[in-house]
Amino acid sequence: MAGRGERRFLKNMPGWRASFNPWILKLPNNPERLAFVLHRVTGILLILILFLHITVTTTPATRGWEFWVEEIRKAQGITPVTVYFFIFAGIAIFHGLNGIRLLLVEFLGCCVGKPEKPKPPYISATLKAPQRTLLYIVFALWIILWMIAGYIIFT
Amino acid sequence: MVGYSRIQLWQYITAILLIFLLAWHFASRLPFLRGVDSFAETLAPDKVYEDLGGASGVLALALAYTALFHGLNGLRGILLEWLGPSRKPLVNTVVVILFLVFAGLATYGVVGITKP
Amino acid sequence: MAQALKSAAKYPPKTVRVKIKRYSPETGREWWQVYEVETYRGMTVLDALLQVKEKRDHTIVMRYSCRMGVCGSCGMVINGTPRLACQTQVSMVASEENPEITVEPLKNFPVVRDLLTDFTSFFEKHRKVKPYLIRRDTQEQENPKTEYRMTPEELLEIYPYSLCISCGLCVSACPVSASDEGFLGPQALAQLWRYTADVRDEAWRERLEIADDENGALKCHFAASCSAVCPKAVDPGGAIQMLRSALLKYKLGLWKKRKISEPVPPLEPTGEKVPLPPEAQTLPGVDLEAMEREPVVIDASKLLD
Ligand code: HEM
Ligand code: SF4
Ligand code: FES
Repeated sequence: MAGRGERRFLKNMPGWRASFNPWILKLPNNPERLAFVLHRVTGILLILILFLHITVTTTPATRGWEFWVEEIRKAQGITPVTVYFFIFAGIAIFHGLNGIRLLLVEFLGCCVGKPEKPKPPYISATLKAPQRTLLYIVFALWIILWMIAGYIIFT
Repeated sequence: MVGYSRIQLWQYITAILLIFLLAWHFASRLPFLRGVDSFAETLAPDKVYEDLGGASGVLALALAYTALFHGLNGLRGILLEWLGPSRKPLVNTVVVILFLVFAGLATYGVVGITKP
Repeated sequence: MAQALKSAAKYPPKTVRVKIKRYSPETGREWWQVYEVETYRGMTVLDALLQVKEKRDHTIVMRYSCRMGVCGSCGMVINGTPRLACQTQVSMVASEENPEITVEPLKNFPVVRDLLTDFTSFFEKHRKVKPYLIRRDTQEQENPKTEYRMTPEELLEIYPYSLCISCGLCVSACPVSASDEGFLGPQALAQLWRYTADVRDEAWRERLEIADDENGALKCHFAASCSAVCPKAVDPGGAIQMLRSALLKYKLGLWKKRKISEPVPPLEPTGEKVPLPPEAQTLPGVDLEAMEREPVVIDASKLLD
């Protein structure tokens, strides 16, 4: 408790939670927020997976081929290893596809809303711009490519 | 004031490189492109040696370095956002160490590979 | 806001429960307090809050001024969405099934008391981007004889950004501002682009260097939540992408400002006369030709008597 007469401001910031929970605020007409959260989460997971991936794929050099042959025996049919591959494929495909969209938008400044005279219902131009269509394409392609990856991995 | 874009520009340049390198990397796991019947067979030692030995080993290393830079720089940005500028030296040190360790490991994985 | 127009014609529930997030800076206590409010058609959330303050509890603290979406003082988180309280109809956020309205202070701003937030650092960040026209010829700028040339198309390039009312809703919605106090934020960055893109401004290099800071444009990750909540459709999210892209291309030597306008040359008298329409008639006693030869001088001091 603050002393008599002493006043404290309340720091009212959600912090890192805002990076993980896309519904921390109710934001209508904002699927870009969901894409942001997914891009961030998949990015963090990808770098962790990359550490594991490098460690595993160097085993032919560090431990010899016998160990490798033993390991890849677990990659047939539906096993924990192939399920992990499948999840990894989903993570990588989303990050890659949305990454291409972000490159267009953030790097080239393309597909965002052009300045326009605001008229009712006063929706910011970028929310109606081609980047929104691109975002829907990213979500659709993601599901399709992920299913194809699943088919390849599991059969 | 040193321009922050100098490093952040590389986040986008590596992203462009990764599109091609990762596409190549994933394509080499497609059974019909490797002339085998299943995904698991693309992981057989002779196929993996094709990927990591010789000229394509250089591509694999390029992919590893690019992905490590891109991923770790991305992670660095996120951590700095959460932890604030006072932790910058710590975050930078951790990221550089992680890069060196895994880049070194990846290099050994390609250079040290022998014919199965 | 079309929704607002429609709901202004709709009747809200007869009474609503306004649930206010309160904070006491002396004790550090936070709590929710609920008030029943009788509504009327066209009542805004700000009206409801003021009614609570007038009739039920004088101690509630909030900020408002214009009551018409112009001053940008009354930003609050209403039912989980950052909104202007004066632009939010009660009928828009409360229904017969769910007559409860939650009102919280804006997120990502320090709370002074109850719904009152502190905007000091928000305005400091705005100031950092130099939100005014900068010319090399300051002499001319301080003592202008004419205006700078700007076509309607050139005006449109910055027009939506110039409508910002500094309400802070965008900052409140931003996931980066949510964890990073240093980040300049959508409002300041959009204004940075507003002046960089203005044909009358000459300080684009200086401003791009301001944007090229750890806390600048590159910290944005395009969640576009700022654009989703902006009550004026300023589209800060779009402005920041154009700014970042210009900055990155500039650093690669691929971008420079295409055009900077000059003052319009002073108008020279052409001696041309606009003819009177044939049906025009002069008042009795007015001799146009005599007036042309000798212009009438009206002595203002005599008019006052
Ligand atoms: C096709 C391949 C890829 C593309 C096109 C791509 C694209 C991008 C882009 C454009 C960004 C910047 C996003 C922003 O500013 O919000 C980014 C961020 C990031 N990427 Fe990638 N990326 C790819 C692969 C990877 C890989 C393989 C990893 C992990 C090793 C990775 C990890 C990250 C991380 C951690 C971030 C930071 C995310 C954030 O700040 O929210 N990316 N990526
Ligand atoms: S950009 Fe929009 S939301 Fe942000 S301060 Fe200006 S008017 Fe408010
Ligand atoms: S009171 Fe002025 S914007 Fe709401």
